[in-house]
Amino acid sequence: MSAPSTGAAELSALLAMAADGDQSAFHDFYDRTSAKLFGIILRILIERGEAEDVLQEVYVTVWRKAAEFDASRASPVTWVATIARNRAIDRLRARGSRPSAPIDDAMEVRDDSPGADELMEAAADASRVQKALATLEPRHAEAIRSCYFEGLTYEALAVREGIPVGTLKSWVRRGLLRMRVELT
Amino acid sequence: MDELSPDEMLAMDFALGALPRAEHRAVEQRMRSNPTFRALVEGWQLKLSPLDYETAPMTPPETVWRQIAAEILPISPVMTVSSRSSLWNSLALWRGVALAGTAAAAIAVTQVGSPPAAPGAPPQMLVAALAGADGKPLLSAAYDPLRGAVVLTPATKRDDTGKSPELWVIEGDKPPRSLGVIDIRDANAHTISSKRLAGLQAGSTLAISIEPLGGSPTGQPTGPIVATGKLSPV
Repeated sequence: MSAPSTGAAELSALLAMAADGDQSAFHDFYDRTSAKLFGIILRILIERGEAEDVLQEVYVTVWRKAAEFDASRASPVTWVATIARNRAIDRLRARGSRPSAPIDDAMEVRDDSPGADELMEAAADASRVQKALATLEPRHAEAIRSCYFEGLTYEALAVREGIPVGTLKSWVRRGLLRMRVELT
Repeated sequence: MDELSPDEMLAMDFALGALPRAEHRAVEQRMRSNPTFRALVEGWQLKLSPLDYETAPMTPPETVWRQIAAEILPISPVMTVSSRSSLWNSLALWRGVALAGTAAAAIAVTQVGSPPAAPGAPPQMLVAALAGADGKPLLSAAYDPLRGAVVLTPATKRDDTGKSPELWVIEGDKPPRSLGVIDIRDANAHTISSKRLAGLQAGSTLAISIEPLGGSPTGQPTGPIVATGKLSPV
């Protein structure tokens, strides 16, 4: 079984067709991107039903805003992934707290279709960011990952780690600046 | 860190997803009105986005797409067919197909699952004339309540070798619902399960499409419509 292409040019074309009201192009776009977005949302929300709701909201938003997509500012995947993270975080904040379900439970239906997202280009970007994170003090890198992947606020993470929130903020921001230098 | 402006810090915090709800909302608001600030935020989002590749993709259940489709496609739910779907893209079109009294072609079904009728009253009969767009009757039918079967009798000869005619019902704005593959080459009794007949009522449209052998692969009509007709009480 060959994995659907997640090439930026192809996805941009599908979005442009969706903006013109082409529903089957949008279905195609959904098929190629939804597993990635669902993974991101589920990692933040943990609870499946809630994650499914948010995924639905995200694609309805993407359908309505397809004409606003600007390929010169971000890749189609980055654009929709950003919308997905935002919606998931919004939902998480509205809820107030994370359920205690272990992450492993949520991960059991992992999509292992070969190469689903493994474009060379994306893999190269990911490895550059990983390398940049690896240059940071491990505690700082870990804090950045926790905020990004779990959608934790500085306050919540500071409590969990037992450190003052000011200290945490300074770790994270210093880490991000260092990353930016590494990535340039 | 002294070199960081408050806006830069805010952009970073937002892109990371670390802000509490009120601040998160405030940043979204600000991005809409301030392009410079928006560019700052988007710059950070772009920098961090490769991290997403560390998250395992998860295939969502199929129900999610169906719900999205229902929300974005108020006119037609037909998504999976492209080139051949044009006829189906306007339900209004074929709901409006006029059916002059083609008494020869009729399909009758009982109204199962409707509000309980008066005790002892016979089940209400519904008929629909199924004819092509040109008004030419395609088949006649009779419902046999004792056998629970709909008997279909073709009014004209059709050669659908290698294809399967499929019967559909359209109820209000809902997507077409399959009543199953039918055989319209010869007169024959065709059994439709009572579960499928449940909820059928006057005003719904019946239609026949020509599908690949065995019926529509998608659960929605994919082939040409050869006949339609509206259900009405006898």
